[in-house]
Amino acid sequence: MSIELNNIHFSYGQVKALNGVSLQIGGGATGLLGPNGAGKSTLIKIMLGFLAPDQGEGKVLGYDIKSEQKLIRQAVGYMPEDECYIPDMDAVSFTAYLGELSGMPRQEAMKRAHEVLFYVGLGEARYRLVETYSSGMRQRLKLAQALVHDPKLLFLDEPTSNLDPSGRQEILELIGEIASVKGISVLLSSHILSDIEAICDQVIILNQGEVAASGSLADLKMVNYRLYELKVKGELDGFRQELEARACRLEETEDKIIKIFTPPDFDPMEIFRAAARYKLQVRQFVPSQTSLEELFARVVGVD
Amino acid sequence: MTTIREKGYHHWDGQFKENFRPFWPIIRTGIKLAFQRKKFKPLFAASFIPAFAYAAGIYISERLEDFKSMGSGLEKFLQINPAFFKSYLTLDFTYFMILLLMSVGGAGLIADDFRHQAIQLYFARPLEKKDYLLGKAGVVAFFVGCLTLVPALILFILKLLFSGSFRLLVEYPWLILSIILFSALVMMFFTALILLCSSLTNNRNQAIALMFSIYFLSSILSGVLFLIFRSPYALLLSLKLNLDQVAAGFFLVKPSRELPWYLSFLVLLAFVAFSYFLVSKKVRSVEVIK
Repeated sequence: MSIELNNIHFSYGQVKALNGVSLQIGGGATGLLGPNGAGKSTLIKIMLGFLAPDQGEGKVLGYDIKSEQKLIRQAVGYMPEDECYIPDMDAVSFTAYLGELSGMPRQEAMKRAHEVLFYVGLGEARYRLVETYSSGMRQRLKLAQALVHDPKLLFLDEPTSNLDPSGRQEILELIGEIASVKGISVLLSSHILSDIEAICDQVIILNQGEVAASGSLADLKMVNYRLYELKVKGELDGFRQELEARACRLEETEDKIIKIFTPPDFDPMEIFRAAARYKLQVRQFVPSQTSLEELFARVVGVD
Repeated sequence: MTTIREKGYHHWDGQFKENFRPFWPIIRTGIKLAFQRKKFKPLFAASFIPAFAYAAGIYISERLEDFKSMGSGLEKFLQINPAFFKSYLTLDFTYFMILLLMSVGGAGLIADDFRHQAIQLYFARPLEKKDYLLGKAGVVAFFVGCLTLVPALILFILKLLFSGSFRLLVEYPWLILSIILFSALVMMFFTALILLCSSLTNNRNQAIALMFSIYFLSSILSGVLFLIFRSPYALLLSLKLNLDQVAAGFFLVKPSRELPWYLSFLVLLAFVAFSYFLVSKKVRSVEVIK
């Protein structure tokens, strides 16, 4: 188990940031989601050992979050969201320097810096000063510095921000490979839900300092609700009211597709029966995959 | 025959250092980056002019007969005693060069990390705030030590070598300790001043302006207050004068002002402590993740 947290509470003065968070995160890629102020940053701070929880306990890679913070940070790679670098350094010196700060011997850090820069696609530009890099290159450089000491767990904060579509795809492929083939666990915090959907098999949704949902992405989509997409002809009002009275939610898209979110035990035949009662012609009926965006909106309670 | 390594990600099979001291890489990199800056090397070299002049003075003091043609007052000027070392360690030129050097290679030590949000890169590693500050302080202390402690010790050794006797050591057995202690105080003072200014802003140029302002304005302000109130205690506001006073105390020579040297020592210690407090407040590892 990469991360185990049990009943973590944390407050900034009177403001409760985390309220009884319990988590278990295994290998592979896990997405961390939540609206602003949900407690994601506080949770990462606690996992990296910067903040001691008011209550509760936890382990990251087997190290105690209260007493073994340095060991955690040696074994974890962190890629910050902000654009950050040390000026006047070329990429290879920069990466090697941060490897050394992790405790690597100097020569090995330098050797390893070359390797990871090639891996993230900056091999040819590794002797350039980092301030001359484009935003996309700096993003890759941040990934390289997080990987230089060969961490067992990677915390990635918005890894695809500032990237063009092709750069974004490449970074996602790298992260996907790191998580699936290279045996490094990844905790990915992102607002771009499609990124999380693309590479994570587990997801944790935080809301108001509590875990609103967690588990396998596939299971979460199945457990919470089912989604059907319909095209109908006729007056919708009565049909809508009947289904909403039975705990379903209806949304109409711009191209006139009706999305019906039903409770997991809801019989889809009831949709046809309701349509028949209100004289609606059902011209298309497709059981659909629920997207992470829809799951997130439902769990967090936003439209 | 070695196998050709497949391109891609490979796990590192090395070992992390035991007894790892994270401030060493910070010091080493800070020194390296300072030397990479434009104009730093010529400035650094120029800073040793007084040391060469004093070394020449020691040489001449031992060969007065050979240099009689230069004038008859040489003997008076070239008495190699504690006052000679005190005067070297309190030279205005050296202090000005320290400020100039640090404006090129030290002002951005913390300010640049703030500006480019590099603090989070440091603290996501297994190092604590004290390691970070020790690393940054080490860079400044290295350069200040290069211009004070190292030349002063070399001058002391040169005197022993040129005179061919240990008379200086016998007459002033405490002198070497005074050199070390006063140099350490100068290193502490300038380290505190430079890190304080560098941490108060995220703009290197503002940090430079602050460094010069604090150092020189303190002397101007104390001079103005002295003129108004005619109280020698007003002179305690001048950082440079305090260094002079403490040097007089450490080298057992008459202070230039009628003030006890330990008061100046306390003022300098208070400045260092206040600077540490402020720098420590400004650099907060917990703000790694926003």
